[in-house]
Amino acid sequence: MSSEASGRAEAPAYSPPATPVLPPCDSTPLHEKGNMEVSPALRADLLDFKAWSEILTTYGRTMRVAVALTDSEGQLLGNCHNPQPVWQLLHNAAGGRDPGCPFCISTHSPCTAIADAFETGGAVMVRDQVGLTHVSVPLLLGKLRFGAIVAGQVFDRYPEPLVLRRVAKDLGVSTERLWELAREQHPVSSAILQASGDLLCALGNAFLRQRYSAILEAKLAETNGRFRLLVEGVVDHALFTMDSNGCVTSWNGGAERLLGYVEAAIMGQNFSCIFTREDIQNRVPEKQLHEAQMAGRADDEGWRVRGDRKQFWANVNIAALEADPGISRGFAIIVHDVTERKKIASVLEEARQEREGLQEKLLSHVSHELRTPLTAIYIFTTNLLDGVYGDLTSFQHEHLTLALDNVKQLKSMVSDLLDITRVETHKLTVEPQHLSLAKLIDDVLSTCLTNAAVKNVTLRSDIAPGLPFTWADPARVRQVLINLIDNGIKFASQNGSVTVASLPYVENEGFLCLSVSDTGCGISSENREMVFDRLSQVRSTSEASRSGLGLGLFISRELVTLHGGRIWVESELGKGSIFYFTLPVFSLAKLCARILTAPNLEAGCVTLIAVDVAQVEGAVQSDILLEVGKVLERCIRPEQDVLLPSMSDAEPVKTFFIIACTDAKGFEVIASRMARELRKFDSASKLKPVISSTTLPLAPGQFGEERIGDVAARVDQLVQAHLLGKERLQ
Amino acid sequence: MNEKKILIIDDDQHLQLGLSARLRARGYRVTCAADAISAITVARKELPDLIILDLGLPAGDGFLVLERMRELADLVAIPVIVLSARDPADNKKRALDGGAVAFFQKPPDNHEFLAAIRHALGETVALTTFLKT
Repeated sequence: MSSEASGRAEAPAYSPPATPVLPPCDSTPLHEKGNMEVSPALRADLLDFKAWSEILTTYGRTMRVAVALTDSEGQLLGNCHNPQPVWQLLHNAAGGRDPGCPFCISTHSPCTAIADAFETGGAVMVRDQVGLTHVSVPLLLGKLRFGAIVAGQVFDRYPEPLVLRRVAKDLGVSTERLWELAREQHPVSSAILQASGDLLCALGNAFLRQRYSAILEAKLAETNGRFRLLVEGVVDHALFTMDSNGCVTSWNGGAERLLGYVEAAIMGQNFSCIFTREDIQNRVPEKQLHEAQMAGRADDEGWRVRGDRKQFWANVNIAALEADPGISRGFAIIVHDVTERKKIASVLEEARQEREGLQEKLLSHVSHELRTPLTAIYIFTTNLLDGVYGDLTSFQHEHLTLALDNVKQLKSMVSDLLDITRVETHKLTVEPQHLSLAKLIDDVLSTCLTNAAVKNVTLRSDIAPGLPFTWADPARVRQVLINLIDNGIKFASQNGSVTVASLPYVENEGFLCLSVSDTGCGISSENREMVFDRLSQVRSTSEASRSGLGLGLFISRELVTLHGGRIWVESELGKGSIFYFTLPVFSLAKLCARILTAPNLEAGCVTLIAVDVAQVEGAVQSDILLEVGKVLERCIRPEQDVLLPSMSDAEPVKTFFIIACTDAKGFEVIASRMARELRKFDSASKLKPVISSTTLPLAPGQFGEERIGDVAARVDQLVQAHLLGKERLQ
Repeated sequence: MNEKKILIIDDDQHLQLGLSARLRARGYRVTCAADAISAITVARKELPDLIILDLGLPAGDGFLVLERMRELADLVAIPVIVLSARDPADNKKRALDGGAVAFFQKPPDNHEFLAAIRHALGETVALTTFLKT
């Protein structure tokens, strides 16, 4: 620096230190590094003049400089600390000064000290043309610019007369006055000012940081306080938190009131104390925490116990608290007393059940009362038709046949009426068994033949050969088919046709699909949705074809649904309709799922026993089959884990499958006892049962939970093979 | 001509009339009773080969009749077919457990019903034969 050469003050020659005094701090919180949005309020709070006052004053006095705080635009915030007389003079005199660096006297070129400081991130010292020196340090949080501290003095040495005069002129004071003021100052050398600039930078930024933390803390405390008020203010819900073991870590007023434990007593206790004894024995608290941990939350409704051992019906929500995914911070739990609601619900439920019971009683009474006269009419009509009272003329025969048709229609309506009641009381049930559809469809078609003949409608069947067995209730499938076929006949045009067909159901291999198509008037798209609703008979163009209660399709849908299948219709106006429904394919896997459990499979081998009952001539077999069932039940003790298909079906079941899980020795015992019992039974009747058995070669321990499906599938294969083999024989 | 005797126990006079006409035409001898008490008396007197029993009867229902019959040595072997307007869902199993050989809901299908009667009387005829008549 050779200020002597020019004889006047030099241009700024400050360069920032090689290593910053305050290196970038890695522990800077994330939100400070990024371009965090800082609200104007927070900004103002951070640069609160009063807060900075003490540190700036102390610095100014120690270093014997004037210090001022500015915002990031260089606007002076508050007063200058430790102001020097000349500084005051300048500021008093320069009423209309441009805003900018508060330390610059020269107004010829704007001071860039603050901007430079932001640019370099460190202290920048400026000496302007009139010989004034000041240092500017940036206040930064990460990349965010908050403000600057400017420190300096007006002259760093006693001014030269020429400069003095020019400044005095600029400021409009006398040279003497300015000299007087300048003399009172104790100049600080540029070198000291420059060194202290770095100190000021460190000091200022440290204080900014501290202030920032303090503000955040205050805000957090405020939020916490508000949250606490909120939590405490909730009086009709118990809110509390638990650690990951279920021990209580906080407890609100509502919890105290509802659960009857004071905070001091419950803190640290396990929350299982609010469960019933049975729930605790069944490890329900642990299960709920596990569920909440796995799924993020667990909801429950059930009995909970207060501190005074009184029970209440609680609605409970448990939420897992996670700081980061996978790291548990415990649980929050909300308990609400809904005992009143539960009471009301149970009263309503009772009322509903009573109403349903009455309705069912009424309808079954009506159905019963209708059946009695219907039976008399039926018997007399058939007696007449069958010539019990003598021969009829063809005219009489024809008209009596019409009467009989009407009786049959009435009979099916009475049945529908009863079914409807059962649907409403959820008592409509199906009793599935393995069922060959081909035979059933043939049977149904021959039943519907009379109806079809009246309208000259052709009945066709297009059933694929080798259709798999279904797992369905024969009487109910029959009912659905008759409903659909009669419906088709009703709406088919004269000389039209109704076709029953089978098709694979690609969406689910566990089901097969049947279709009933007609060449009738079709159903418009808006009516298509409604055909399965109750009493929704779509108005037909020909009134004559309307008959029945319009319940058939509704009941059919219920029955198909009960089988686990679905029913739908495709139709085009004028071209006819196709009704589709699906039925589950017979699978012994479904049947034997109950005993094919991992522990059973671990315990021993799986045995499949097939008992074929030779066909008995005559129509009624259910009593005999029931007897066989009883024999089988006698042979097989429940502790041996066997499965017996239902024996109470009206339709003859000719093959029983028994799945037994037992060791080889146990199986021998079962088989020999069964053979003995059945032989005894056999000699007393015409029945010829054949017992065959297959043991699945399973080594103990071979099958885990995931292999149960394999065993089931294998059993299924065996059964299908057995049934198909039998079919072939017949 | 068949001389087998069938007892119809039903309080519906019209049913008695119609059904007995049908059965007589088939060559059976038919007697009737209209309540649970006379049913037992008539049965013991007539010792029929088959009983067709209604469930809803005056002076005790059909189940009571079944129960009484099981206790009486002279009636215990007589097969009983239940013919009732009641819902089979609730009554069929109970009737069969009580000793009935078959259950029919009113109105029964004539073919099936008569086949059941023949079967119960030991006149086993192939099912297909019935359907053709």
